Amino acid sequence: MNELFRRLRYLLHRRRFDRELANDLDFHREMAGRAGVPLGSALQLREEARDAWGWTWLDRLSQDLRYAARMLRKSRGFTAVAVLMLALGIGVNVAAFGFFDLMFLRPLPVRDPGTLLKFARSAPQGYADNFVYPEVAFYREHAKKLSAVMASDDAKVTIDNDAEQLTATFVTANLFSDLGATARVGRLFDPVRDEAPDAEPVVVLSQSFWQRHFGADASIAGKTIRINGQPATVVGVASSEFSGLGFSTPDLWAPIAQQPYFVKSSRLTDFSETGFSVPMWGRLQPGVTPAVAEQELKSLAAELHAQHPMDVWEKESLPSEPGGYANRVRHEMVPVLALVGALGLLILAAACGSLGSLLLARGVAREKEIAIRVAVGAGRARLIRQLFTESLVLALLGSVAGFALGYVVLRILTAWAGIPAWIDPTPDGRVIAFAAGMGLAAAILFGLTPAWQASRRRLRGTITRQFLIGAQVAASCILLIVAGLLVRAVDHATYNDPGFDYRQVISIDPALRGYTPAGARVYFIALAARLRGVPGIESVALVSNPPLGNRWTVVNTEIARRAVNVHINHIDPAFLQTMKIPLLLGRNLVPGDARAIIVSESLARLRWPSEDPVGKPFRLGADDLTVVGVSGSARLVSPEDSDAVEVYQLAQADLMPSMVAMVRTTAPPEGLLRPVAAIAKSIDPRLVPEVQLMKSAFRAKLQTAEASAVAVGVLGLIALLLACAGIAGLVGYAVSQRTKEIGIRMALGARPGHVLSVVLRQFSLPVVAGLAVGVGGAAALSTVLRGLLYGVGNLDPIAYSSAMAVFAVNMAVAGLLPALRALRVDPMRALRYE
Amino acid sequence: MPKVEMPSGALVLLILRVLRSGALHGYAIAQRIHVLSSEVLHVEEGSLYPALQKILLKGWVTAEWGISETNRKVRFYRLTPAGRRQLEAELSEYDRVNGAIQSVLRTA
Repeated sequence: MNELFRRLRYLLHRRRFDRELANDLDFHREMAGRAGVPLGSALQLREEARDAWGWTWLDRLSQDLRYAARMLRKSRGFTAVAVLMLALGIGVNVAAFGFFDLMFLRPLPVRDPGTLLKFARSAPQGYADNFVYPEVAFYREHAKKLSAVMASDDAKVTIDNDAEQLTATFVTANLFSDLGATARVGRLFDPVRDEAPDAEPVVVLSQSFWQRHFGADASIAGKTIRINGQPATVVGVASSEFSGLGFSTPDLWAPIAQQPYFVKSSRLTDFSETGFSVPMWGRLQPGVTPAVAEQELKSLAAELHAQHPMDVWEKESLPSEPGGYANRVRHEMVPVLALVGALGLLILAAACGSLGSLLLARGVAREKEIAIRVAVGAGRARLIRQLFTESLVLALLGSVAGFALGYVVLRILTAWAGIPAWIDPTPDGRVIAFAAGMGLAAAILFGLTPAWQASRRRLRGTITRQFLIGAQVAASCILLIVAGLLVRAVDHATYNDPGFDYRQVISIDPALRGYTPAGARVYFIALAARLRGVPGIESVALVSNPPLGNRWTVVNTEIARRAVNVHINHIDPAFLQTMKIPLLLGRNLVPGDARAIIVSESLARLRWPSEDPVGKPFRLGADDLTVVGVSGSARLVSPEDSDAVEVYQLAQADLMPSMVAMVRTTAPPEGLLRPVAAIAKSIDPRLVPEVQLMKSAFRAKLQTAEASAVAVGVLGLIALLLACAGIAGLVGYAVSQRTKEIGIRMALGARPGHVLSVVLRQFSLPVVAGLAVGVGGAAALSTVLRGLLYGVGNLDPIAYSSAMAVFAVNMAVAGLLPALRALRVDPMRALRYE
Repeated sequence: MPKVEMPSGALVLLILRVLRSGALHGYAIAQRIHVLSSEVLHVEEGSLYPALQKILLKGWVTAEWGISETNRKVRFYRLTPAGRRQLEAELSEYDRVNGAIQSVLRTA
């Protein structure tokens, strides 16, 4: 410690120490001179003596930095190109990571997010994300290790007499106070006042809804509005900085205890499978670990199981995960996130590859300088260090520029994605550290090999150069192919049927969550009868997971050693015909079919490649079923997933409250949208049915694919540009290096074609090798994309060949332009050169 | 007779030893070692000053301004208590190793 202290003191007073040492030496020489002793170099001696203090590296570093800055200032053009390349490579990654950071890594802006937990139900017999509300209420009352238990659930409502659908979030009344929310106007919910049995119905408005709908009326508190036709008092407006517990942006909040008042035939207090189920959060008491809280909840669950043996599972436990985040990385997101990460790194690799080639070429130009350095005694390590310092300075500049670029892209991205107002897109320390790390990684990638090569003075050794070209070609090739696949997918989806006809269909989701099965059945019978009376309507059918919707029931399984996603849908007999899905073999489902299923042709082909599937047994989860028919393949819910196959079962009575009606029209359906919506509402005025054209649902679905195609396309173009810049630079240097040789060849009468081939031959092998690696890499990477390609194969030859054609043409132009300079070489000038 | 250079570990020991009786400037340290060794050992400035810097860093000596016999301002090096302890430790270690070597030389 003392030694370190003395070392630092030396660093701070080094000038004085230096003067003192010089004085000592002078004196010594003076005395020794009198005695007639021969003397060495005073300067060298002083440096050797100074070495003892261990600060020499700092001197060298500052020397290297100053030198690097001078070199980069001197060749401004090179510096600008290099920083631009790095900014692109790093910026793309910073934007991607910044977005990931916003979505997944940042805690919610609520009080003490670290002690929030989100719970799920787990037992030997099942797993569920949600709890029926009475179970939540029980834990809320009895859990001692949790200071608060909260629930929050979204629902669609209407306000006053507007047709517009609004999002209401029903919350436990302790949510606002526990999360530390502040009111913009009036007050927020109070657990004592608003959850009392005789409490008057109240709502809190969101700031944006209050501004949009009430013109930011400052005297809103105390006014009465009608939610789903029921009067309620507005008590206040929540600040727009309040995030709640999820990613949703509700228009208003209402106490969950008052949900039965607002929602017709609510099942809030129904303690059974069909009850109203909600996600549950809890806040740990100070000093309590999640494991302790889970243990307590497990014993409470056992207690509850004794009271409700049918509805709370035996041996139910409540596993928790951190609850203070808006999104969690789910298992199924990992491949897509990994793909995005890989694409980003490919861009960086392409940037580093071209920059590496430029540096290498520059190394050739600096051969003389390096030779002089070696001649005056620079060691190899010292040379590498000096050249690498230059790369580090470049990387630092590139990081800063990349960070700025990434931030701009991120702002555009978040504005486009319409994120909630409480998200602050300003980059945090993590993103800054990420940008710095990227810069360092880039410096190592692009700088170390050329520095090492230059120091060995074996610059014309072509292995490194060829490797760098190959890496760039491979990286940009992969990006172009992936972009090509996505473009093909969008194209395919736009001009081909997904196996069903969506153009003349209207879907009606009446949201009968509160209905009994019998009530729902009555509703649908009335709805179908009324709709059939409307001219222009051909048929009406029911389905549990509506096509192109966001509900699905999927079993991931393996058939014939291929991973497939079996989509299960519950339908009524009219469904296949309504959606124009052909029945290829066997018969349709008929009322009373309890164990019959229809499988899609895609599934039949995999499972029974050479047999007749009709009559075969099929096991689905715990049910033994029999195949009665084969339908055309129609990826209803996820048309983008090439691995999706379908099975259809007859919807049983208990599913009625969750069914959706599909209406086929004889003519384009636009004109019928209004009357259909009016009918759906008129059967029960308290409902908020969601009525939409399937056409628009399909368009919305395609937008995601289009956006990703555009994004990857831009990345691909950037990579292509980088690769072209790299190749053009290298060919240019190759030409300038061989000017003399070319001159001699031309003087001896070589044909232009021959001269070109001499210059370009050395590049052909790495380009071909890079292409091969690129195609292989794209084939491997794109398996992740199978679920997003709308049935286009991930080895689609058109996508691959067109991507490679684009690539080849660009590379050829980028290589030929500088190579043509070789032909303009004047033989006489070239020979006199040097 | 050729000049005898010495290993740097031994030099540190000798410097500490000649400083035990009082503060000296650099040239005097070299002279003292030269004289006391009956002019066998020769301390070059090229090894003396790096060694002195190392000793300063270790905190075994401190430097203070004084006036030389030629009436010039120069730094005198003075042993610190830590330097004294280091000297004792190095001396006993030297004795131990020296004794061991001697006994091998005598009996082998």
